[in-house]
Amino acid sequence: MQIFPLHPFLPEGDIPALRQQVRDLVAKHEASWPVELRANCWFSFDETFSKALGEAGLLGMTWPKQYGGHERTMLERYVVLEELLAAGAPAGLHWIADRQTGPLLLRYGTEAQREKYLPGMARGEIYACIGLSEPGSGSDLASVRTSAKKTNEGWRINGQKVWTSGAHKSHAALTLLRTEEGSERHTGLSQMMIDLDTPGITIRPIIDMTGTHHFNEIWFEDVLLPHDALVGLEGNGWKQVVAELALERSGPERYLSSHMLLVALIDAVGPEPDAPTAQLIGRLTAEMWTLRQMSMSTIAKLAAGEDPVVEAAIVKDLGNAYEQALPRMVQAAVDADLAGKSDLSRLLTWVLVASPSFSLRGGTPEVLRGIIAKGLGLR
Amino acid sequence: MSDNRTLLTDMAAGLFADLAGKPFDVAWQQVAEAGFSTLLVPEDAGGFGGDWGDVLAVLRLAGLNALGAPLAEPVIAHYLLAKAGIAAPEGLISIAAPGQRVPYGRHAAAVVHVEGGTLSLYHADACTFDEALSPAGEPWDAVSFTGTAAATAACDVDLLALGAFARVAQASGALEAAFTLAIDHVNTRVQFGRALAKFQAVQQAMAEFSEEAAAVDASAAACAEALDYGHASFEIAAAKLRMGIAVDRAVPIAHRMHGAIGFTIEYALNHLTRRLMGWRSEFGGDAFWAEQLGRRVAGLGGHGLWREMAARTDRLVG
Repeated sequence: MQIFPLHPFLPEGDIPALRQQVRDLVAKHEASWPVELRANCWFSFDETFSKALGEAGLLGMTWPKQYGGHERTMLERYVVLEELLAAGAPAGLHWIADRQTGPLLLRYGTEAQREKYLPGMARGEIYACIGLSEPGSGSDLASVRTSAKKTNEGWRINGQKVWTSGAHKSHAALTLLRTEEGSERHTGLSQMMIDLDTPGITIRPIIDMTGTHHFNEIWFEDVLLPHDALVGLEGNGWKQVVAELALERSGPERYLSSHMLLVALIDAVGPEPDAPTAQLIGRLTAEMWTLRQMSMSTIAKLAAGEDPVVEAAIVKDLGNAYEQALPRMVQAAVDADLAGKSDLSRLLTWVLVASPSFSLRGGTPEVLRGIIAKGLGLR
Repeated sequence: MSDNRTLLTDMAAGLFADLAGKPFDVAWQQVAEAGFSTLLVPEDAGGFGGDWGDVLAVLRLAGLNALGAPLAEPVIAHYLLAKAGIAAPEGLISIAAPGQRVPYGRHAAAVVHVEGGTLSLYHADACTFDEALSPAGEPWDAVSFTGTAAATAACDVDLLALGAFARVAQASGALEAAFTLAIDHVNTRVQFGRALAKFQAVQQAMAEFSEEAAAVDASAAACAEALDYGHASFEIAAAKLRMGIAVDRAVPIAHRMHGAIGFTIEYALNHLTRRLMGWRSEFGGDAFWAEQLGRRVAGLGGHGLWREMAARTDRLVG
């Protein structure tokens, strides 16, 4: 059994022109981006840039035009993503809406929900977050307890979500709730689109070890939602969440989110590095190049309608491992001043401290390897 | 992809499986009779008219079956001779890349050498071999050219890189075969009252193993695409280095999963892992390709690296 047959990545359209469009847009905005922010693309925020992407037609790219989308292909969207990540462009504000909330509303949302959210998301003006984890429910998502009770006036929500990235910058949270009292595990769950300015919602920051605020707690105290906040079918929440998480699969963010550190290393050592430094650059390039082939192949499979679960988990796990090793290998090889002002010093320090998060987002190595082992028939 | 790929791989899969464990003289005779050597020679020149994707598919199967005969070497030699318009002599033709030993040199009727932009064809009587064996026990002979070349021609092909690609292709097959052996073993071997595969620690290790096999598979395929396009120096450097990393990570897991059983000479695993360990060094090891690729990237500059990588795949879309 061949574990990873390469699927050809053959996007339609003028791909070099599309890349140039993104590069021009980055060049126009990059002067205002602090260097640390550029190694943290999907958790860093620039509203002006998100709106500029929307205006350029680079958000909601695959969505129907009637909802503000541009009806382009998944592979064209992939090209835009990899260009943004490789350039270290701040993409955190629109990231979730563009990647998963929008597509999920297209698939399961009501007409009213699509009309309410999608055009603004495609303009880079409406941002979303995902209400999944709870204090007692991390990797084991099926244990969520936050409840929604159906009443005559609407849904009554009580409970707490945690680790919600970007909630403080978002307009709405697509939230997984227990809608059937007394239900257990995967049953009795539903998804709702919750506007975060609804009375009874409190958002509190959780500061991470880099000193940055992107995590939040969301408290729901007797929050009243209209009946039509329900997304998809009542009780179908688990299935919808699984479908939503599939949209996370194998984006280029799994190996490119800290690419600017490699860029800084190459620029710092110049065109004629000594042999050990050249070897380090070569090794990092080889891993990154391989990950790119694997990531492109996986997205091409997804675009062709296949469901490459094992391949996607492999790319995620190898990508996380590469991104976590990158700062450690650079630190081991280069005599860097971690309090220095050079781009390399600042990026290295930032990525070293941020890197423990790389194996949290989207699954720990242990979880991912469990998925792979299952796919290979090992449990 | 060539139209005949399925025909080709069916034939190769059957033949190489039959030849598993067979000595050189038996294996080579049948490989030669099957005509694999002219895989890349155009049809109008009497060859198979295949492409590099075909070469990958066949070499992968050779690696998967631990074929005990040269295959990449005659394929590359015949390809280069046909390109140069030099008639290929009868018998096994092996390759001598600069600074490299000649695989199966002692058995070769002729050797193709490329250095400094010149291809030279040496018949066996113009070669003196210092005979040695690879870690897998295959002939790995150092050559001195003590006679004159039978023919020469200008050649802009990097023979070392083609050899490196061949080893990546073979390694992709050998890793799959080693992985399959390990899967079968952990699924059937019972310890502490259950199959080894039921232990999470074993599952995690096997998942890591699969990731390395996957990385080599993907990089080998990307090299074949680039070779068919016409320029693959960047890809081959990256892929050969990635293959070295994969061997480094996967071979210990393969043996760990098997315990002492995998360390015996009669169990099939060693035919795969000894080859993998040897191929890691052959046609440029990790340090060589890392430095070469690193210097190239340093010359491109920080953002130049990404631009080059993107351009190299965009050209395939065309």
